[in-house]
Amino acid sequence: MLTVDDVVVAQSKRAAAVLDRISLNVKRGEKVAILGPSGAGKTTLFRAISGFLPIRSGTITVNGITVNGLRGKQLRALRQKIGMISQRHDLVDRLKVYENVMAGALGRWSTLHALRFLARPLKSELAEAEHALDQVGLVRKLRARTSELSGGEHQRVAIARALVQQPLVLLADEPVASLDPVLAGQILELLCGLAHENGFTLICSLHQPDLAYEYFDRVIKITGGAIESDVISVSRASLRHIGVGA
Amino acid sequence: MHPWESFISGLRQWSPPDHTLSYLWSVRTPLFETLEIAAAAMLIAISLGLLLGLYIGARLPGARALYVLLTSFRAIPDLTLALLCVIAIGLGPAAGVVALAMFYSAAIGKIFADLFASAERAPVEALESTGANRIMVALYGLLPLRRQDLLTSGAYEFESAIRASVVVGFVGAGGIGTELVGYLNQTDYHHATPLILLLVLLIALVDGLCWLVRRHPRLVLPLIVLGAAAAFANRPQTLYFRHAIKTFAAMWPPRLAPNELASLPKLLGETLEMAFGGTLLAIVCALPLGVAAARNISPAFVSFPVRRLLEGLRAIPEMVWGLILLGFAVWGPSMGILALGLHSAGALGKLYAESLENVNPEPILALAATGASRIAITSFGLLPLAFGPVAVQSLFRLEWNMRAATIVGMIGAGGIGGALFYAQQQSFYHPMIAYIIITWALIMIVDRISGRLRSRWGIVEIDK
Repeated sequence: MLTVDDVVVAQSKRAAAVLDRISLNVKRGEKVAILGPSGAGKTTLFRAISGFLPIRSGTITVNGITVNGLRGKQLRALRQKIGMISQRHDLVDRLKVYENVMAGALGRWSTLHALRFLARPLKSELAEAEHALDQVGLVRKLRARTSELSGGEHQRVAIARALVQQPLVLLADEPVASLDPVLAGQILELLCGLAHENGFTLICSLHQPDLAYEYFDRVIKITGGAIESDVISVSRASLRHIGVGA
Repeated sequence: MHPWESFISGLRQWSPPDHTLSYLWSVRTPLFETLEIAAAAMLIAISLGLLLGLYIGARLPGARALYVLLTSFRAIPDLTLALLCVIAIGLGPAAGVVALAMFYSAAIGKIFADLFASAERAPVEALESTGANRIMVALYGLLPLRRQDLLTSGAYEFESAIRASVVVGFVGAGGIGTELVGYLNQTDYHHATPLILLLVLLIALVDGLCWLVRRHPRLVLPLIVLGAAAAFANRPQTLYFRHAIKTFAAMWPPRLAPNELASLPKLLGETLEMAFGGTLLAIVCALPLGVAAARNISPAFVSFPVRRLLEGLRAIPEMVWGLILLGFAVWGPSMGILALGLHSAGALGKLYAESLENVNPEPILALAATGASRIAITSFGLLPLAFGPVAVQSLFRLEWNMRAATIVGMIGAGGIGGALFYAQQQSFYHPMIAYIIITWALIMIVDRISGRLRSRWGIVEIDK
């Protein structure tokens, strides 16, 4: 599903490399945690996968499509297949919750369709937003203002937007960094459960090892832009999904 | 005559204003013309400016070149554009509409582009990561993220457009401006005074309307209808494009005669003298007035009247101050300095007061906790903390006054504006276009230096 082969990436043309000859292979449906301290290169890796940062050398392929050098329509078509959620405040506060959720569909809509949705959303479109919000347990907030959401609700709406996008790979960049431990557990549980149900590949960066080993099948440690370890983990979450353990 | 005597005789000329009902009733036509110019021009400018801003904000092909073009176009003062439009389109409000629509489209396009460029990055990138195209990112991200700021700057520009719609009348583009200049040319000050008072009242009303629009954005809708009706009413004349293009073509190439070239340094010197002198005068007056108007420093019985005084000074455009000063027998660059200084003192005083009120309260509370007096808190806390915004606003004012200095020249303050107006009146189009290019270059240079200073001081915020 995702292949990163000997990749070197920097923040800008003249800057020093943040990712230094990194290689990894992630299979369809796998749930992978990328573990590492701040500045290790986790966000840089995600931004390179979704084509926001140019790749200096090496290749990245997603679902058989090479990311290197993609531009315009082709890049947008690829991004449609890669969902992204982050620790940053990345919803548009002034939009309603359902508008933010359905922004996930923009990649498959025409510009006129997008314009019409803002003016007059169809019942079927609202039902799609409702379904996505139902999956993250926030259906009551469908018509709420995004600015009224709490931190945890905010993250759930971002996940609902990613679900509407119907991605093959979901990149979650420290999605629980600003949440308390209980809420962090709930969000990771939700993400892993949704990945299992919807069959997408989940790659999630974290800096808490306990959360990584608890929820993910595979834990990759990155330090200083290079892979330090790559281990298979038997997470409690997967045991639960196959009906073993509490 | 002693200056004091000329002041008294000046005052006598202006009062009493003609307040007969028949005269006040006759003013309705130019008043509606002014409103028509402002509403039609602003409808075109805001729609076009929004499109231009979104085009640049969405980084569509050629966006950078378009941004440079808008920045350069803004360096041509509105009245200079009106002069050109009067020649190309003919006397009347249509010329005013076209001139203001062009000027404010560029101004609003640039401001909106700056607002979009400084929108929060995270939500925009999140939208891009869904595979949305740039237009969708603009619709779902840039527009809603910046809606409030767009309304605030749109309202501010509308207020400026009302003042400008009077000013463009001075060169024959219709409305109260043309009427006012007519009376002043005949030294009929009794009829001019009600028009000036009407202008101040109109600007106060527009201020109130803009405040309402910011609170209830839906009120924009009736304004759109009014603007569309006004633009439609001026449609036949504005469509004289072929005539306009032919006239512009006949103005080329720009050329100055040897005697005009020789007097150029003097003209440029006078213009710079007015811009710098006016700004300095404004800063000197606005600092104490700004402190007096700041509600967190001065008691209400001081701040309230000072605020009204500042509003009054600001409501009268530089050109109208210039005309009033002519009535007091003041002309030449000193008239320019006074006219620019009086209007800018009002504008800067209000902005200084707002900057002082917006200072971070924590360091001030810490100072107050030491038992410091009000004067000590102001001098060691508020003034140093507000230095950044005050410096930026003063630099923006200098840029503004550079444009205004070329404009007041047209009514007797001299400088390059005077030469430009003379060339237009005499139909000397080759020197006229040369003076326009020189004015543009001068303004671009001052803008560039001021921009450099602002970025060197690390302050790049847009002043409102």
